[in-house]
Amino acid sequence: MSSTVTRMRLAAVATAASVAVLAGCSSPAPADGTSAASCEPAKGKVTLQYWNTVPGMDKVVDLWNKKNPDIQVETKNISNDQYGTLGNALKAGKAPDLAQVGYDELPNLRTQNAFVDASACSAATAAKSKFVPWTWSQTSFGGTGVFALPQDTGPMALYVRSDLFEKHGIAIPTTWDAYAAAAQQLHKADPDLSITFFDPNNAEWFNGLLWQNSSEMYSYSGDQWHVTVESDQSKQVAGYWQKLISDKLVRTDLANGSTQMYAAYQKDQVASYVGAAWGYSMFRDNLPKQAGKWSIVPMPTWGSNGASGDWGGSTVAFMKGGKHLHESVKFNTWLNSDPEALAMENELGGLYPAADAGLRLPALSKGVPYYNNEKIFDVFADSSKKIDTSFTWGPTQKTVNLALQDAMAKAAAGDGTLDDALAAAQAAALKSMKDQAIPAAAGK
Amino acid sequence: MSTPSVNRESGLSRTAAMAVMLLLAVYFLLPIYFLIVAATKPQGDLASTNGLTFSHFDLFDNLRVLFTRSDGIFGRWAVNTVLYAVLGAAVGTMISALCGYALAKFRFRGREFLFSVILGGVLVPTTALALPLFLLFSATGIVNTYFAVFLPSIVSPFGVYLARIFANAAVPQELIESARLDGAGEFRTFFSVAFKLMTPALVTIFLFQFVAIWNNFFLPMVMLQKESLFPITLGLYQWNGQTARAPLLQESVITGSLVSIVPVIVVFVLLQRFWRTGLAAGSLK
Repeated sequence: MSSTVTRMRLAAVATAASVAVLAGCSSPAPADGTSAASCEPAKGKVTLQYWNTVPGMDKVVDLWNKKNPDIQVETKNISNDQYGTLGNALKAGKAPDLAQVGYDELPNLRTQNAFVDASACSAATAAKSKFVPWTWSQTSFGGTGVFALPQDTGPMALYVRSDLFEKHGIAIPTTWDAYAAAAQQLHKADPDLSITFFDPNNAEWFNGLLWQNSSEMYSYSGDQWHVTVESDQSKQVAGYWQKLISDKLVRTDLANGSTQMYAAYQKDQVASYVGAAWGYSMFRDNLPKQAGKWSIVPMPTWGSNGASGDWGGSTVAFMKGGKHLHESVKFNTWLNSDPEALAMENELGGLYPAADAGLRLPALSKGVPYYNNEKIFDVFADSSKKIDTSFTWGPTQKTVNLALQDAMAKAAAGDGTLDDALAAAQAAALKSMKDQAIPAAAGK
Repeated sequence: MSTPSVNRESGLSRTAAMAVMLLLAVYFLLPIYFLIVAATKPQGDLASTNGLTFSHFDLFDNLRVLFTRSDGIFGRWAVNTVLYAVLGAAVGTMISALCGYALAKFRFRGREFLFSVILGGVLVPTTALALPLFLLFSATGIVNTYFAVFLPSIVSPFGVYLARIFANAAVPQELIESARLDGAGEFRTFFSVAFKLMTPALVTIFLFQFVAIWNNFFLPMVMLQKESLFPITLGLYQWNGQTARAPLLQESVITGSLVSIVPVIVVFVLLQRFWRTGLAAGSLK
């Protein structure tokens, strides 16, 4: 996301927060407990509320409503200020039955007691087998319940301008070491050409890179959080990118998805893009003239560790206050694992499914014309299966991300290093948890 | 040899003034020019071609996509905006005219105090009122309805202020006296005598209100949740928030922005004559 978007979101969050303050609502219970929910089917017709940010989701829900006259679903698009809207509704006791929540925001909302555990419904626990393994460990918090069902993911891969690599006689790198060497070679061959860009305003992206190197930033045991944002693994990633930045081999002046970014790619100034599955349409739609020049290959690996990372993606969570758990589970399961629904979500909303059935969709098994008719989704499906399942997000992830971004921007400007950024994030994580009275300690 | 006229400016100062004005004109018109250019481009040319030069001329295709996207929701937003702006400005102008006239022409206890309070209202930005209004409307249960945006739109302290000054300037006390002598009631006097004299001023107030409501973003954002009630501003904002997943929405946001400024320009051009007279009347007092 560009920094303007982030800023606008911040403004919106601030606004939402002030609404809440003005409303004089009390703060939510910080308890981690879960209310015991029953899974009784309702008698007669029910109406469920489902809030999301997916373009075209109303069409998918229309299809469900036509097929299920007794379980009607109403949608609301909350794409501007997703978490502000949800937070206010929770405080006012008017949360929807189901809501879209990003993987990185799940622990925060769970700490605020925002979810119901749907494991009373056998259909919910049985859904486990339908999803890519790492996503289930996120929504079940390591098997302690079923708080959400996975919807989409952002398995990462490397987008490369194969024509530029070929022109300069450089092999497409498969490890990060080879990637750094290629960065040097490309720059030497053409001083205006960088291998990629480092977006200092994008902590989510950087987290994906840390995830790939098995940097377990948080863990929860013994009734407290253990913060290890600063670890050998994360420092390896930070040091790697710091060197590329210091050697001026990557650009730091481009924001992901910005007009400037597309312009730089259009002018052949950047040769690759470290991206996620949902990004394939960005290049196809914004740089149509480069059709046939792009390929998508697996992420470069750290030595022999073949793991991949995830950037973005969401779940559909069972929200506290929902009265029709049985029906919510039924709809949620259909929404996120039925091939017909998944195909529509992929086509209209650009979602890359978290369900195994979704990975086998006809639309995701074909070659994509823009990418030389390569079967790019095979690369993402493979990446999806190689994502570390033990990775855990922290309960104050948004605050930590902001601290990380501040320090990353400084490092990109030559003031400090990415190692400092990790230290700042570690400190911010501990402080924000302490501020919210969440028990936490540094180290394992 | 003739003596140079005293009030003729030197060629140099005229040229300098023209140059400054030309520069300002370019400065103000450039964003609109960019918008027009961008609205004619296909999505793929937005980032990859020069922003100020035309590439493929796809305006009509962009318009078709804009108005058919999501079952033509943009048309609905346009109708909503017109409803909010035209009705809101009309009712708001009427209320301002009545208040301003009363404050100018009737003597009553607390008149100046009341006027001061209204003047104080001019100083409070509408953005600051949006949140208190939300809580108020939330308690009355009209959040997320047409009224949530319409009701605040018809209140304009600045309109009352202008109307009072205009009424003072444009409606002679003698005329009101003679209307009363002829047996006209207060409302009759207002509508058939004062109202007509105040017309240029009222057009000014109408325009102020119309533009303010048309461009209003924060109030609808706070009040509305249902897409079908959105004005264009809020709808485009919502689309813009989804461009990461659906990049093609960006071109619709741009084309939609262009479409949304056209009515404002039309209204200005049509009412320009009144607008100028009205401003001048105000500046005398």
